[in-house]
Amino acid sequence: MSVPNHAPMPGRPVPPMFSPGRIWTLAAATFTQLVRMRTFYFLLFFAVLVFGMSNVNLLYTAEQQLSTIRGTSFGAMWLFAWLFAVTATAVVIPRDIEDRTLYTILSKPVPRVEYLLGKFFGVLLVITVALGAMLLLSGLVLEFRKAGLIAETRSYLEQSPDLTPADIQGQLDAISSEGFHPRLFTAAWIILLQAAVMAAATILVSTFASSSLFTIIVGIAFFLIGHGHRIAVDYWSEGGATNNWLAWAAKVVPDFHIFNVHEKIVAGSTASPLVMAEITAYAGVYCLVYLLLGWYMFSDKEF
Amino acid sequence: MSGSSSTPPSSPPAIEARELTKVFPLQWSKGYMVAVDKVSFTVNAGEVYGLIGPNGSGKSTTMKLVLGLMAPSLGTTKVFGLSTSDVRARSEIGFLPENPYFYKHLTGAETLRFYGKLCGLRGRSLQERIGELLELVDLEHARDRRLAGYSKGMLQRIGLAQALVQRPRLVVLDEPTAGVDPIGSREIRDLILRLKQEGISVFLCSHLLEQVQEVCDRVGIIFQGKLRREGPLDELTAIENQTEILLQEASPALISKIQALIQAEGADLLSLGRPRTTLERLFLDEVERGLADARSAGVHSAEPSPPPRP
Repeated sequence: MSVPNHAPMPGRPVPPMFSPGRIWTLAAATFTQLVRMRTFYFLLFFAVLVFGMSNVNLLYTAEQQLSTIRGTSFGAMWLFAWLFAVTATAVVIPRDIEDRTLYTILSKPVPRVEYLLGKFFGVLLVITVALGAMLLLSGLVLEFRKAGLIAETRSYLEQSPDLTPADIQGQLDAISSEGFHPRLFTAAWIILLQAAVMAAATILVSTFASSSLFTIIVGIAFFLIGHGHRIAVDYWSEGGATNNWLAWAAKVVPDFHIFNVHEKIVAGSTASPLVMAEITAYAGVYCLVYLLLGWYMFSDKEF
Repeated sequence: MSGSSSTPPSSPPAIEARELTKVFPLQWSKGYMVAVDKVSFTVNAGEVYGLIGPNGSGKSTTMKLVLGLMAPSLGTTKVFGLSTSDVRARSEIGFLPENPYFYKHLTGAETLRFYGKLCGLRGRSLQERIGELLELVDLEHARDRRLAGYSKGMLQRIGLAQALVQRPRLVVLDEPTAGVDPIGSREIRDLILRLKQEGISVFLCSHLLEQVQEVCDRVGIIFQGKLRREGPLDELTAIENQTEILLQEASPALISKIQALIQAEGADLLSLGRPRTTLERLFLDEVERGLADARSAGVHSAEPSPPPRP
C-alpha cells in the first residue's frame, strides 16, 4: 500500500451544527437503499391493477367506468402510501442499529437530529416519487380510456336521430369531466400528508422500539387508532362527560378522518385552499411534534 | 517509539480521558454494572496508543465513550480539546468498527462518497479523495461493485478508507485486523505506522498483543473496567533485572567464553539459543519467495504483491 498524503487538512473548517446538505446526503442514501430494495416493484402491481380496471367492461356507464378507474387508482395510492410509510420507516433505523452502520454514521460529525430527519425525508422522497409515478400512470390510463369511451359514445349517439348535436356534446362533456382533472393533485397531496404523519410517528416509535416487527405493529395500531379516533372521542364525550386525560390522549394521535377528504376530491368535489392549508398545517404540526419527541428519545440513546 | 515530530508541541492531546466511568443499570433488577471504572489516560497527538484487554473488559465501552456514541456516567473525554459530546469533535475522528457493516446496496465508491459528504466534502476534492483512498486500500478494481459482493477483508479495507475520508487527526480502530488474512493484516499494520509518520494519532483497541506491540508507542491494559497498567510500551515490557544480548555470526568458542564469564561474575544464564522468527514472518517470506520464483519462471500471478517489510 502506498499512502498518499493523509495529513489533516490545514485550517479545517468547523462543521456547521446543522447542515441541510448532510440531511440531504442521508435522505438520498435512504432513498437509494429503499429503491435498491426493489420497492418500486409495487408500481408493477399498480400498473397491472390500473390497466386491468381500464379493460374490465362491467355493465357500467362510461362515466362510471372512469370513476371506477379513478377510485381504484387512488385507493391503491392511499394504501401504498401509508403502509409503505410504516414498513419502510420501521426498517431503516433498526437495521442501521443491528448492522452497526449507525456507529460509522454517528462517529462522523452528524448530529442525531440530522440522522432522523435524513431517514424521514428519505422515506418521504420514495413515497413522493412513487405517488408521482402512480398519479402519472393513472392520469395516462384515464385519458386514454376517456378518449376511447368518447369515440365509442359519439359514434353510438350519432346514430340516434332523436339527439341534437347539443345533446350529444352534453353527454360527451359529462364523460370528459370524469377523466383526469388537476384537482386530483390535491388528493395526492393529502395522501402524501397522511403518509408523512405515519412516517414521523413510526420514526418516534423506532427510536425506542427493540425491533422492526414491534415498530410495524405499533405503527399499524397507530393508524387504526387514528381512524377510530373520532368514534372513540364521540363515545367518551357522550352525556357531556369531560375527562382531561382523555382529551389529551385524543390529541396524541391525529384524527385521520381529516385526511379522508381525498376520497371526496377523487369522487368529484373540490377542496378550498383554506381546507387544504388547514390539513397541511394539521399534518405539519403532528410531524413536527413526533420528530421532536423522536429526537428527544434518540438524543440520549446509547448503542 | 516516540510521537511524530510533525505535530506541533502545543497541540492538545488527541484524547484526554479523565476519571471516565460508565455504569449500566441492570434490567429486571435494581442492580447496576460498572463497565468502565475511573479510567484516565492521554493519547498525545501523533501517538499510537493501544488499549488491550480480554473480551468484556471495557475496551469497546471506552472506545464508544471516546467516540461520543455513549455519554459517561462520570468523568470527561476530550478529543483535541473538544468534549466528545460536541459533534464538531467528530470531524477530527475516523472510526473503523470491528467487523464493519456498511450499506450493502452501495458500491465502494458510493460508500466513500456518502461518508465524505457527511464530513462536508463535495465536488472535485471528494472525487479525488475517493480515488486516492481506493488506491490506498487496493480496491480500485472493486470501486463499482456493491458491498454485498465484498469479502470480509475487502469490507475491512473499505472501512479503513471511510475512516480516513475527511483526513482525520485521530483514527480509532477496533480490532482492525479481525478476519483479515496475514497479508491484509500486515498491510493494515504498515498503514498504521505510516499514519503515525504523518502525525496522525491512532487509538487501537485489540486483543492481538503481538500486533499492538509492533505498532504502539504506549499501551493501556484494561481489565474488569479498570485501567491496570498504562505507559510507554518499552517501559512496560522491559524486565528490569534481565539483559538480552543478541549476537550474529558468533563462534561456539566465543559463546563458551561468554558463558564462563557469566559464571565467574555470579550471574545466571537464563537462556541460550537461536532467536525464532514469527509464524507470520515465515508465512510472508514463503509467499514472497513463491512469487519471486513464479516471476523468474515467467508465470504471472493474479495475487497482489506482499508489502515491503518495514
